[in-house]
Amino acid sequence: MAGEVRGGRGDGWTVGLWVLAAGLLSGCGHRERIVVGSKNFTESDLLGEIVAQQIERRTGLSVERRFHLGGTFVCHQAITSGRIDLYVEYTGTAYTAVLKHAPVVDRDSVYRTVARDYLQRFDLVWGKPFGFNNTFAITVRRRDATRHGLTRISDLARLAPRLKAGFGYEFLERADGFRGLASVYGLRFASPPTAMDLGLTYRALADGKVDVIAGNSTDGQIEALDLAVLEDDRHYFPPYEAAPVMRQAAITRYSGVAAALAQLAGRISDAEMRRLNALADVEHRDIATIARDWLRASLP
Amino acid sequence: MSLWDFYARNSQEVLGLVGQHLYLVAISTGAAIVIGVPLGILLTRRTAWRGPVLGVANVFQTVPSLALFGFLIPLPFIGGIGATTAIVALVLYALLPIVRNTYEGVTGVDPAVREAGRGMGMTDWQLLTQVELPLGFGVILAGVRVATVVSVGTATIAAAIGAGGLGVYIFRGVAVVDDTLILAGALPAALMALAADGLLGVAEQRFAWRGK
Repeated sequence: MAGEVRGGRGDGWTVGLWVLAAGLLSGCGHRERIVVGSKNFTESDLLGEIVAQQIERRTGLSVERRFHLGGTFVCHQAITSGRIDLYVEYTGTAYTAVLKHAPVVDRDSVYRTVARDYLQRFDLVWGKPFGFNNTFAITVRRRDATRHGLTRISDLARLAPRLKAGFGYEFLERADGFRGLASVYGLRFASPPTAMDLGLTYRALADGKVDVIAGNSTDGQIEALDLAVLEDDRHYFPPYEAAPVMRQAAITRYSGVAAALAQLAGRISDAEMRRLNALADVEHRDIATIARDWLRASLP
Repeated sequence: MSLWDFYARNSQEVLGLVGQHLYLVAISTGAAIVIGVPLGILLTRRTAWRGPVLGVANVFQTVPSLALFGFLIPLPFIGGIGATTAIVALVLYALLPIVRNTYEGVTGVDPAVREAGRGMGMTDWQLLTQVELPLGFGVILAGVRVATVVSVGTATIAAAIGAGGLGVYIFRGVAVVDDTLILAGALPAALMALAADGLLGVAEQRFAWRGK
């Protein structure tokens, strides 16, 4: 009797475990899951989250988030090796940093070249841009701008010998970065610019350790720290339009994703992106909440 | 471009960055020893402070370097941008292994040996300098070894605050999607860490052997 009961319970357990294991395995095998990445700064996280939620809302696919990866390099490696299916990239960055073309100012030709080359070389597809242009922003403290009448980068040339600059590595190294800027505008600073982490340049500027930095035009800190962006009056910087980049294989496999992303095309202006960044960076709102509220308001 | 071509073309710059890197590690580890060893000894005499002091050193270990730099920039004397800030951060990171191993090394001395010293009429200072420190030296050196090896790796973050070092190549390489540049910084840093580990390992073994 006791033996039978024990035997029976044992069988029950075994069957239960098998069912559970089979369920888990089939779950892993059949569940449609698309992996979205982002670079290691707020705007990229925000756009990644907007894209992720849009896919979840419109296609019912489940989305795995791999956010805050270490910059262009890591994201590019991740997507070309198939670790992520899509992330948001900037046309100018892809054009100069990944494809190593010399900088060009025309928006449409940059986008066309990038879209063509990515498809040919990496099997990656560029979606339509979100609408804003996140260009490098040569930035000074607002009180310096007012005191010295600085509004354009050309105004900076005469003052530069008395100023100190601090730039991120990307800006110092890129073909569309500091060297070209210095020669186009004839900038000579008091000492060679200090190379440092981009995020720290804002703090160094606000604390008076440096006088000029190169931020991003959609950064929330520009208003929060009372800084002024100088106009690129000689049109040196190429366009940096943000757009989703997807693996060709993922688009074919997950139908509906491309259509869902197409709805986001042209929906975010410069001012809108700056507002969203400020919500995250200055007011410390949760990124998932910002993305959900924006999607509800803009694409109900 | 291959790594060797890169080194051949930029040998001056590479040597300069290696020099900066060694400077950052040497100054910061030196300062951490000067602060950490006496602090560790103090803890063996004031055991009530042990928890709070090691707790604070532990907390520093967990603060990400960029956050630490952010806090340090506005501070006078130890802050700003450049080598000073990087060295302050490196010292804070190196303190924990040195303080902890000094404490362990001194308190780990066989109580019978310590009693014998006291029985011979040694003062506390004599006991420390003639018994506890010589016998605990191997353990203290092990702490210095860990701190040095970790510093060689951590010093690459000095490049984030304008202090140079081999991290410059790593940061540049990451910024412009270039494997060669990243390796150009990472490889010498790794070799430097291995060399430091080997040298201090030999020294440690020698003292362990003498201790017996």
